[in-house]
Formats: sequence, structure tokens, C-alpha cells
Amino acid sequence: MRILLVEDEPRLQRSLARALREEGYAVDTADAGDDGLYKAETYDYDAILLDVMLPRLDGWQVLERLRRKKQTPVLMLTARDATRDRVRGLDTGADDYLVKPFDLTELLARLRALIRRAVGQASSRIEIRDLQIDTRARSVSRAGQSISLTAREYAILEYLALHRGEVVTRTALYEHLLDENDDTLSNLVDVHVFSIRKKLGADLITTRRGQGYCIEA
Amino acid sequence: MAHLFPKSIQWRLQAWQGFLLVCVLTGFGFTAYHLQRLNHFRQIDDELDRRLAALNSEIVARPPFGPPHGSARPDLGPGPGPLHDGPGGPGGPRGGPGDPFDGRRPPDGPFENRTFQVSPATQRLFDPSDANGFYYLLWSRSGTLIAGSTNAPANVVPPAPRTDTLTHIRVRQSRREAYHFTEIGECILAGRSIRADLDILNRFAGFLVVAGGTVLTLGLGGGAWLIRHAFRPLNAIGTAAHRIAAGNLSERIPVGQTDDELARLAGVLNATFARLEAAFALQRQFVADASHEMRTPMTVLITEAQATLARTRTAEEYRETLKSCLDTAQQLRRLTESLLQLAQLDAGQESFQHQPCDLADIARACVERLRPLVAERGLRIECDLLPSPACGDAGRLGQVVTNLLSNAVVYNRDRGSIRVRCGPHADGVCLSVADTGIGIAPEHLPRIFDRFYRVDPSRSGAPGRTGLGLAITKAIVEAHGGTITVTSESGVGTEFIVRLPAATPGDQHA
Repeated sequence: MRILLVEDEPRLQRSLARALREEGYAVDTADAGDDGLYKAETYDYDAILLDVMLPRLDGWQVLERLRRKKQTPVLMLTARDATRDRVRGLDTGADDYLVKPFDLTELLARLRALIRRAVGQASSRIEIRDLQIDTRARSVSRAGQSISLTAREYAILEYLALHRGEVVTRTALYEHLLDENDDTLSNLVDVHVFSIRKKLGADLITTRRGQGYCIEA
Repeated sequence: MAHLFPKSIQWRLQAWQGFLLVCVLTGFGFTAYHLQRLNHFRQIDDELDRRLAALNSEIVARPPFGPPHGSARPDLGPGPGPLHDGPGGPGGPRGGPGDPFDGRRPPDGPFENRTFQVSPATQRLFDPSDANGFYYLLWSRSGTLIAGSTNAPANVVPPAPRTDTLTHIRVRQSRREAYHFTEIGECILAGRSIRADLDILNRFAGFLVVAGGTVLTLGLGGGAWLIRHAFRPLNAIGTAAHRIAAGNLSERIPVGQTDDELARLAGVLNATFARLEAAFALQRQFVADASHEMRTPMTVLITEAQATLARTRTAEEYRETLKSCLDTAQQLRRLTESLLQLAQLDAGQESFQHQPCDLADIARACVERLRPLVAERGLRIECDLLPSPACGDAGRLGQVVTNLLSNAVVYNRDRGSIRVRCGPHADGVCLSVADTGIGIAPEHLPRIFDRFYRVDPSRSGAPGRTGLGLAITKAIVEAHGGTITVTSESGVGTEFIVRLPAATPGDQHA
């Protein structure tokens, strides 16, 4: 999952980005409104964390302009908790709203819910035949037996599971799993898919030659 | 009255108006009644007078005795004879010391037994057929009735004898009678029943009462309407003020088109409410800004700590986290101190020392303290400090200079310069801090002393900048009775000028 974090307070940006990366997200950052808007319009993020008080373009303006083009889920972060502000945020097109100072665990939970809802998945548990994926614990099990995956393997599996029934291209996988600073070899996805198949069985992920990967619904 | 309607001016006005109206109407009614009565009786009296005079002229023309030696009774011949032949009246001896006949009083006979016939001309003045008509009576000097008209009432008592011959008026049993004594002591009386006149006057009085009552009712009704009408805007003002007091500060009193006292009052109140609302909005904005400023570092603290605690870290990572948390906590501390100081400045003279001090000394000390910072940024600093005796708190004034200087350092360009000057100015002292920095755009200039106002919001996280420095600076300067002004040109530089009143000997409140 790839997240855009738009936050101008450098320390907060740094620690939030670190926490998100440790949760397995690919994180891009921006510290000004216009910069954030450019990135949000250029890449397909799974979610955007958007601060309200930003230099140049504030959070409201970024959100308003983004909504003319894209429906990327947006979680607003603000230090103002007036109801008027919250209503304005949700009316402008924000999907959720979090008031500073927030609890990091709450932020992560809301972010997971936001991403799930965006692909039409209400529960944090995804079941594919006898395979269970717990997006909250980031764990996979088959018939009660826990299966150990690396962070990247899990990220690929989760992304494909959330978009099951769809063909996901390699480019899309790269875009959603690697952040802007990641510069990995292009056959990396194939390597990870190969090891997922070894752990979970060859028939879970099918390859559409020339198109990408797919988990059948 | 006041204790009956203690709460409503409206009721008190109404009561007073009613009271005054009753007084005026009563006074007017009594006066009208008395004038009417006087007028009426004067007419009657005039009539009586006329008749009395007619009778008198006839009676005097025919005295009861002839000339002292001539025929005594030229008129006593034929005739109906005496009307009353009673014995001498109970009056006893007539005449007093002033009696004109004293000493040579003629014998009683001719006086008592004479008859008197009124001439037809005079007779016409006393119409017996008129029930309300005039009557006359003539008594001898001993009180014997000599003559009288047929319509005269039987129970008329002769007036008490008088020595003068003036006309007197008396009222007996609804009869008004005029009488006078002739020179020989005979009493002529003309009278009339005034029963009908009293009836007329009573009806008039009744009319006055009814008319007065009507006027009073109309007056009270009109007054009530007027008062209510006059009080309607007041009530509107009261209602609106009540709603505003209840918290709806954006409400205003409706002001009419007219420019009367109430409209002006409403205008004044509206202006007051507007200022109140502005002050409240400012306060709300300040609280919102302050909470915003505190929430950001708190978020950093919580996020940093939670993210670090989520798993086991290396010692280096823990050290970094702790350093970051410490920096953030220091920022919070600075912010809290600034907020506290502002709150104290807002509350009034917070423990200010008012002592003579020299602004030049203060500025010099500040420059020395900041010199490492200035050198670090590669800036030049020029000082032109003339002795500037002022009165105030040296510590606070030092804070002013430090704030201005650190702004000049932070917002300067590389290899720029700072010029600090101070000296006497007009009727006070003046301190100027000028830099060759980025300057402030004209649209920001009016707001740079506002709390948490930042020309560039992206600097909100800059270490050490709370967004309150200039607000505190201004508050300190104003608490010293001084002013602070700023001139700036984008890209050229900014100059802050602080003016303080001069120290005057013995002045404890500069």
C-alpha cells in the first residue's frame, strides 16, 4: 500500500513516515500544499494523510483541487477540532478526520479502514477459500496454521487479495508497494510472487501473461 | 405608587399621568363651576338690584309722613288698606346711635299703619304668575309687614336691622334676597327662588363630572398608547440586549430610520456589542491558535514515542527519539512561557519594575549576548547608541531588544547587516533595529503584531519561533506607555522603531 503524507512540521513528518513504513506502507512525503497536490495527482495512492495547515496551499484547497480529478481516500489531520472545521472537511470530500494530538494506533486503524473501504472490503479479515488474511495483525493463516511471510510478500498478497477478481499489473504493484525513494530491480515483484506461491500453493495467484497477476474471486 | 409598580417605569409613568390628569381636570372643573355659579348669581343679583332700586325710589317718594307740618298721609285715602295690621314687631325700640331720626323721631303711628301701593310699572317687575318670579316685601322699621307682592313666600323672616342703607344679599331656603333699609329704617326686600338656578348649576356640575370622566378616560387611553408606543423601541432594545447577553453576540438591535434618542442609544449599544463580539472573536481565535500551536508538538511527542516503543530499537534510535522528544518539549516550554507572559501582560501591570534605566545600556547588553548568533550567520552589526534615559523594567525592555534583534538575525539575508540605534527623540527616547533582510510584504505589515500571525506559515515549525514574539514585544512596549512601529520593503529590509516616554524625576509610572 502506498501512502502520501502531507505534513509541514518536519519532526512530525519524519516520525509519522517512519511509523507508517514500519507498518509496511510505502510512504511518500510532501511538506507543502502544492507539492502534495502534485504528487497526489501524479501517482495513484491508496490513501493520503493530509494536514490542514500547510504553506502555500492549505489542506482544504489541496483536497478541493484533488477531488476534481481523483477519488483517492483522504484522511485529514488537523489541530483544530471545531465541529465547523470537521463538517467542512467531510463536506469538501475528506473520507475521515483526525484531530491532533492523535493516537498513532488510532491513526493506523483508521488508515487501514480507509484503504479497505475504498476497495469495498468492510472487514479487516479477508478469506480466500481456506486462506485467511488478517490485515490488522498483518498475518496469513491456512486452516488455523499461521504462515510466515516477509513484509513485502505480505504487501503483495494483501494488495492482490483486496483487488481480487481484478488483474493487477506489475506497474501497479510497483506503484503501490514501493515509495518514491525505492529503486529496486524490476523483476523483484516476480521474485516475491514466486516465493508466495512456494508458501501458499501455486494456484492462489494466477499469472496473466503480458498483463499481470490475479487472485480469482 | 412606587411600591405598587416598582418594576415598570411604564406603569409609573401611567400612574403619574393619571394623577396629573385628575388634578388638572378637577381644578378646571371647580373653576368652571364656580365661575358659572358666580356669573349666574351676579345676574340674579343685578336683577334684584334693579327691582330693589325701583321699589326704593317709589317708597322714598312716598314717605309715611308728610312734611313736618303738612298733610301726613296724602296716599292713605282709598285703597285696599293695610295688608297686615299686626301689632308692633318684636323688634322693640328701633334705631341706634346712628339713627338719622334719633332725638327727633316721629311718632310710630304713621310708620306702622301706613299702606303702600306699588306703581303698575314697578308691579310689572314682579310677575306673580311666574312661579320662579321675583317678589318683594316691605317692613316697617319695627318689623311690621307693610306691603308685599302676592307671590312672596309666607315664611320670609325680616332681616336683622342694619344702620346703613346699603344693599345686602342673603340666601335663605333656596331663595336669594336683596334688601336694604331706608333712611327711616324701613326694610325693602326683593327676592327670588333660586331652586331652578341651583338645579341648572347642579346639572352643569354633573355635566362637568361626565365630561371630566370622559376626558380622563381618553387621556389615560391615549397616554397608555403613547407610553407603550414610546417604550416599544426600548423593549426591543431590552429583548435584543437580553439575547446578546445570553450569548448570541452576532445579534444586533434593529435601528429605525429616525435619528431620535432611542435610535442613537441603539446605535451606541450596537457599536458596543460589535466591539464586544470582535474582542470575543479575537479571544476565540487566540485560544484556537494557542491550542493549535500546542497540539502540533504534542502530536510529535506522542507519535514519536509510540512509534519508537512499537518494537525494539537500537540505542542510537532511542537516543534520536529522546533528542527529538526533548526538542519538542523545549518548544512546548517556550510556547507555554510565551502564552503565560502574554496572559500576564493582558491582565495588566504584571510585576513590572518602574526604575530609571538607560536604553543604550540595555541594547548594548543584548547585542553582546546575540553576537555569537550574529557571527554564526555571517552578519555585520552596527551600533549607534546614545544615552537614552527611560523608565521601566530593564529585563522586559531587554526582551524587547532581544526579540527584535533575533528577528533581524533570522530574517536577514546572508552577509547582510543589522543596525541598532537609540537616542533621545522628541519628548522621549527611541530605539531602532533595522535589517537588510527579506522584508515584509505590505499586505502582511498590519498583522505582524497579531498573535500567531506568520508571514510564511511554513515557518511554523521553525525551532524557537512561537509566533508570539512580536505580540509580546508590542505588549511590553505598550505597558511602558510607548509605541512600536514597523517600516519594511520587500527584499530590502525591515526597521522596527520603539518609542518610549522619557524618564522624569520621581516618575514611577513611565
